[in-house]
Amino acid sequence: MISVQEFLLRTRVEHRSLEAWIHAGWLIPPQTEPELAFSDVDLARAQLIRDLHDDLGVNDEGISVILHLIDQVHGLRRSMETLLNEVRGSRQG
Amino acid sequence: MSDDPYTTLGVKREATQDEIRSAYRALAKKLHPDLNPGNKKAEETFKEVAAAYDLLGDPEKRGRFDRGEIDASGAERPRERYYRDFHAEGAQDHPYSTSGGFADFMESDDVLSEILGRGGGRARFRIRGQDVHYRLPVEFLEAVNGATRRITMPDGATLDVVIPPGTRDHQILRLREKGGAGIGGAPPGDALVEIEVSPHKLFMRKDDDIHIELPISLPEAVLGAKLDVPTPTGSVRMTVPKGANTGRVLRLKGKGVARRDGSRGDEYVTLKVVLPDRLDSEIEEFARRWQAGQQHDPRRGLEA
Repeated sequence: MISVQEFLLRTRVEHRSLEAWIHAGWLIPPQTEPELAFSDVDLARAQLIRDLHDDLGVNDEGISVILHLIDQVHGLRRSMETLLNEVRGSRQG
Repeated sequence: MSDDPYTTLGVKREATQDEIRSAYRALAKKLHPDLNPGNKKAEETFKEVAAAYDLLGDPEKRGRFDRGEIDASGAERPRERYYRDFHAEGAQDHPYSTSGGFADFMESDDVLSEILGRGGGRARFRIRGQDVHYRLPVEFLEAVNGATRRITMPDGATLDVVIPPGTRDHQILRLREKGGAGIGGAPPGDALVEIEVSPHKLFMRKDDDIHIELPISLPEAVLGAKLDVPTPTGSVRMTVPKGANTGRVLRLKGKGVARRDGSRGDEYVTLKVVLPDRLDSEIEEFARRWQAGQQHDPRRGLEA
């Protein structure tokens, strides 16, 4: 688990932004009690949000849409992968 | 990477900082690895572009590069894992995983749901929703007698919260499956509502009992009386016995806080004899003449 301090340092994100991102539902910290802590996934996701916001000039509404679509693409890729493995397996068998 | 960061970004050497920035944005939008989850080559190209922008996006660094003080090597930004790496084959599931992109296929196609549902495949995409916490201030009597309160959740939906009779301050009510939505058909989380009971101007609560202080007049104390006493369920008539003194506690059985089994605690009424704000000559005259009263020493045994 990654503490808030370390998280802010590694993502180079301000505390206020982090709070806003959690509030917007962009980040779902796996631990809130006794104190906030994050996983590696949250870290990578926060860096993506930062890239979108700072480097790519995407506004907040855009970020919500992009995250939602990216997550769906990943879900699709996973199921595609499972399907392909299944097809390969049945061909060999 | 290309030796010339200007070539990498596709800008002229005399480009303004704004032009450099928009050139970088245009490339990054196409090449950012998280926007190209299936394209390994995008990451390499993006690294070059990012390194070039690192150099040229900062006017000071750009000046030093233009004067030949630094070269383009070693300017690569160190980057931890990209978000897409957490979705790679065999990666563990996490709260952001969703089957939203294909759930409709699984519903309509038995073969597909069998395949995708096999080997924990579907279970990987099922995550129970988050618990959501609320605070709900309620009036003293609402908590004692029970009530229904409607709260509006952040998403605009409303939720009727049944406050059972006898609810205590800081008690947490768990409303099953009224929290955040579940992922992949998993049940929603719970709504946890913390009740904050505001104090009452007359009643004090102690466990299941209600305590109240009742002022009575001198004639009522001396001669006894039948008085109306407030209770949580309305006022009731109570007999104050003859000679009732300040501090005397009378019990009204079953007039306290409702319990879960339907019974109720008691109300304890503490009497307080109160003289009128203004004394007239009649009572002063009486007090002076009253022999037994003159001899009565309420502080006997109080010597330290």
